Amino acid sequence: MEVLSNKGGDHIFKIENVAVHLNGKYLIHDVSFTVPKGQITAVIGESGSGKSTTLSALLGMLPAQAVMEGSILFNERNLMELSEQERAGLRKKHFFTIFQDATNSFSPTLKIKQQLYRLTASRLGQKEEAFLGKITAILKDLNLPEDVLNRYPFELSGGMLQRCMLACAFYNEPDVLMADEPTSALDMLHQQEFIKLLKNLHARLGATIILITHDLGVAAIADSMIVMKNGEIVEAGQVAEIFKEPKHPYTKRLVANHF
Amino acid sequence: MIAKWLGKRVIMGTIVLIIVSFLSFFMMHAAPGNPATAYYGGNAQTLTTGEKERIEQAFGLDKPVLFQYGTWLGEALQGNLGYSAKEGRPVSTILLERLPNTLQLIVLTLFLVTITSIWLGLQAGMKEGSLLDRGLSIFSIASSAIPPFWLGILFIMVFSITLGWLPSSGMNDVRGDGGLVDRLYHMVLPLTVLVISHVGIFARFLQDSVKVENHSYYVQVARANGVSEREIRSMILRNAVIPYINYVGVTIPSFFGGSIVVETLFSWSGLGQLLVKSVMVKDFPVLMGAILIIGVVVVICLFIIDVLMICLNPRLRRGGFV
Ligand SMILES: Nc1ncnc2c1ncn2[C@@H]1O[C@H](COP(=O)(O)OP(=O)(O)O)[C@@H](O)[C@H]1O
Ligand SMILES: [Mg+2]
Repeated sequence: MEVLSNKGGDHIFKIENVAVHLNGKYLIHDVSFTVPKGQITAVIGESGSGKSTTLSALLGMLPAQAVMEGSILFNERNLMELSEQERAGLRKKHFFTIFQDATNSFSPTLKIKQQLYRLTASRLGQKEEAFLGKITAILKDLNLPEDVLNRYPFELSGGMLQRCMLACAFYNEPDVLMADEPTSALDMLHQQEFIKLLKNLHARLGATIILITHDLGVAAIADSMIVMKNGEIVEAGQVAEIFKEPKHPYTKRLVANHF
Repeated sequence: MIAKWLGKRVIMGTIVLIIVSFLSFFMMHAAPGNPATAYYGGNAQTLTTGEKERIEQAFGLDKPVLFQYGTWLGEALQGNLGYSAKEGRPVSTILLERLPNTLQLIVLTLFLVTITSIWLGLQAGMKEGSLLDRGLSIFSIASSAIPPFWLGILFIMVFSITLGWLPSSGMNDVRGDGGLVDRLYHMVLPLTVLVISHVGIFARFLQDSVKVENHSYYVQVARANGVSEREIRSMILRNAVIPYINYVGVTIPSFFGGSIVVETLFSWSGLGQLLVKSVMVKDFPVLMGAILIIGVVVVICLFIIDVLMICLNPRLRRGGFV
């Protein structure tokens, strides 16, 4: 379907007619949208609607047996034409992704310090000394005690671990930050705190953010929004407009339940 | 805290050893035959009933079994393992002579098996569906299906008899100087049999746990964020090795089982061979002593594994389980 979210044409991603099928079944179908540079784009939809699959397609990390059709342009480069190595390079240099389950996002037997190092400085080829100074300052900004660096993941709460992931995003200053339901495993208090910090990051770094969520309250911080259902996009546009005047029955119900 | 934990482990180990020795003692006495008459070998038939009774009295065999066990345990707890009438020497002397030989074999086997299986399992597990992955799975099943005894005989026929490359029995050349090189040379065949019969299952175990880790959430997160494959591999190994080391611990008794077969086959004068010999001639004090000392070594090995597990698993270290 036609997406009008960015009339200026300054977009970082352009996704056209993307479909992903696995073992003869379509996970997503006819997905087209653009991601405006420097803005927050929310992807909303119920569980199983294809949000994570869309994200995997952007990351070039679909299951090995999955087949993808259509095209994904990142800064006018077609991701379909890249080798596996080049895609890994993109993920390292331009993207950073935060996933839903923070407690399982870290290796259980390695101290946070080493893990944050691997997720940040190491991939940028920096030494550990430079890393420690910078990460300590970031952790402080995120209300994390400095000694989290010497802790193991099981010693920290989900909220703290998710903020550790966010610390990596602050460190890496990626062109695109993707977050797949980053708050749905957190309690209310931590959810609000995380969203505040995410807005803060956006203001400071001006990064493009793709924010997947099933919570309209979270989507409210976005500029534009895509609504997915059963593997398809059913509605897309500016958040304010959709909130005011939802068109698709599914979106209408969502908005009605939210307010 | 550590002292309390250690104390608990020592008490547990002692209880295990007492149970093992108790069961062995009773099974030994339930088996047909009699050590007193076995002592006289072929002449046993010529003994009169009176003579037999006197010999049994001398061995203490006229007392109830439970009483005999109590006597043995009481002495053993004070470090006295008795005297072998058959060999004419104290049991402890015989055991101390043989213990190093078995330890050499088992420690080297364990070392080679772990190094090889970790390397193979990691390579195979990281490349799912590759030739190595599938090949290792098949080798693992095949090697665990081959009885070590049969493999040993095959090796002796090929490498000792047909090719004449390696000695088939003994621990040193009688004409040699008894040096390390000669010892290792004699160890090649028994060691190879023990390693081959264990390495497949161990590698398979690590291979499977590497695959599980490779599909885990944190690895997906690391890959999605461009963490290098070298760093990912090291995280995977670090986590996969925990259940693996646990498995090594569970399997340690089977190394001693394997060494009984191999020592007997290759005339390696270790505890395994002693065990078989003492069963044949019904040398009860030696048999009990050998079982006890193997038990002690196994308990110590399991203790080392536990310490390793605590070092490897921060949850155990920091979760207050110690
Ligand atoms: N690895 C997979 N194998 C098979 N089906 C999958 C896989 N991943 C996702 N799916 C299916 O694809 C659809 C979309 O899933 P997903 O993208 O995870 O949805 P969402 O993130 O919106 O909850 C669902 O029907 C789900 O069952
Ligand atoms: Mg999802």
